[in-house]
Amino acid sequence: MLVKINSVANVGLETVPVDVEVDVATAGFPGFTIVGLASKAVEEARERVKTAIINSGFDFPPKKITVNLAPADLPKDGAAYDLPIAIGVLIASGQLVPPKELTEGKMFFYGELSLDGTLRPTRGILLLALFAKHKNGSMIFVPSPSAAEASVVSGVTVYPVAKLTNLFGHLMSAEPITPLAHTKYKISDDEELIDLDLKEIAGQEQAKRALVIAAAGGHNVLMWGPPRTGKTMLAKALPGILPPLTDAEALEVTRIFSISGLLPPGIALIKKRSFRSPHHGVSAAGIIGGGTNPVPGEVSLAHLGVLFLDEMPEFPRSVLESLRQPMEDGEVEIVRVAGHVRYPASFTLIAAINPCPCGYLGHPRRECKCTEKQIAKYRHRISGPILDRIDLTVLVAPVEVEKLSITKEHTTNNLTSKEAKTVVVKARAIQSKRFKGTSLYTNSQMRNREVKEFCHLTPEAENFLKLAAEKYDFSARSYMRLIKVARTIADLTAEDTILPVHMAEALQYKQLT
Amino acid sequence: MKTLNRATGRSGEALAARALEDKGYIIIEKNFANKFGEIDIIAKDKGTLVFVEVKAKTGIEYGMPEEMVGRGKLQRIRNMAILYMKGKNVPCRIDVVAIVLSEDNDVVRLTHYENVY
Repeated sequence: MLVKINSVANVGLETVPVDVEVDVATAGFPGFTIVGLASKAVEEARERVKTAIINSGFDFPPKKITVNLAPADLPKDGAAYDLPIAIGVLIASGQLVPPKELTEGKMFFYGELSLDGTLRPTRGILLLALFAKHKNGSMIFVPSPSAAEASVVSGVTVYPVAKLTNLFGHLMSAEPITPLAHTKYKISDDEELIDLDLKEIAGQEQAKRALVIAAAGGHNVLMWGPPRTGKTMLAKALPGILPPLTDAEALEVTRIFSISGLLPPGIALIKKRSFRSPHHGVSAAGIIGGGTNPVPGEVSLAHLGVLFLDEMPEFPRSVLESLRQPMEDGEVEIVRVAGHVRYPASFTLIAAINPCPCGYLGHPRRECKCTEKQIAKYRHRISGPILDRIDLTVLVAPVEVEKLSITKEHTTNNLTSKEAKTVVVKARAIQSKRFKGTSLYTNSQMRNREVKEFCHLTPEAENFLKLAAEKYDFSARSYMRLIKVARTIADLTAEDTILPVHMAEALQYKQLT
Repeated sequence: MKTLNRATGRSGEALAARALEDKGYIIIEKNFANKFGEIDIIAKDKGTLVFVEVKAKTGIEYGMPEEMVGRGKLQRIRNMAILYMKGKNVPCRIDVVAIVLSEDNDVVRLTHYENVY
């Protein structure tokens, strides 16, 4: 008997329906074959399905069983086909009478089986739910440990399946499984979401200010300073002051995490902006995404969050150069034999750089031991095009001992992340009003045309910029960059035109030469 | 134990040969063997040359005899069949006879699968 079970395959962030056809032949030498461009993990479903069926107390038919995963030309990977194959075998061998909804194609099965018949957490459940939503009256049967991620999708009935026997009971209408209640996702602006408060960082007022500007305008930041001055701590504080994820954004981030299998079991939605800090040993495929069936890389995992590159010059040049496309377009396109996929990758880059290989160039109390040549070589590792995409450069100097004092309260050091966030959210609101009807979201995305249209400078401010440009010999690009940063600074104080004071502050973050 | 298994195999082959003869097959050769392997029974079914692998087991506590004939074993039989035919182009196929014996060597089940490769 031949049965057809509905399941899906995830290609990048796209979901393709897959028909799992199971045939249990009445004649023929017993055997179990799976066809349809199945990867090793799918091939091995044979043993998992067989053992799980037997250990769940059912009979595994000693007959010729053929499983076809259609469409045949799409490569299939992962263990998610275990459940549809097992259900197919049970129906085709006459042990389970399929309900009407199954034959009508309204039921989707997806999940990895364990040898004892329990279901294991499986990646990509959210994508299945989003796909099934478009088909009316769909029901999805997914492993209960991962079911929570599907519960945020409305318009689809999610059945969490703990064991194969439970599903059998449900399909036979003996012991129905209670569908998961749809959870309304509401992102609360809780303090508990903040990992590291700005207030906890001693000193570094200028760097903190730069972070606020970066958060408000979506600018990339380069932190320049000797080791142990708090560059990493500062970077870690950034997600806490970024505006909260909107509902649509949260879903977008969760989709990426779902397909990567990084969503912790029981977590329905990623509510926090991500902070990714890859080690400098990372490969280009690791940062951009890759693999035979391309999986998202660090840039995509940092989507709508922060990508922090500590010790940036230590990263291989190929890795740094590969960041150019995502920084420009906000997405990456990965091409492999299996096909090409597109992952969103719109992130704020925070880079930390030591001034020289030994790290102490320009340190007030320690001596730098590097030669001129070493320093030049070190700085040369970061190419101009990358630096060009960084709007704010900030010097992070060693903290004065006095500011480290834990008994004295410093009046200059009392900006909490919560306060900073409020300011940032306001500035973002101004920007979204400004860019209404365009494809832009933040000041950092403005091109020359928009800069001319939206950045009105007072004559004094323009004059000030002109003087600075002559003195420091700015390129056209750095000129525009300064105006963009000044625009964000003006937005932070809800000022319509850019005043000389904004321009002066922006000048502090100009690129080092 | 080893000798016991061999005895099971031998009696299985005899049982299979009889069953095939009952079906009208003509047994050409038994235990055609060389250093590459062995074909239990070579028979003729009308015009077709049939290479038969016999798998006999006592009891099924450790699995069905069918499960013991894997891909590798069938491949070996195929190779042996090619050797046997010495490049002659005659219609042929590979069959499997699975036999389950009881403790007292009574036949519990004898199944003949045609054309398994």
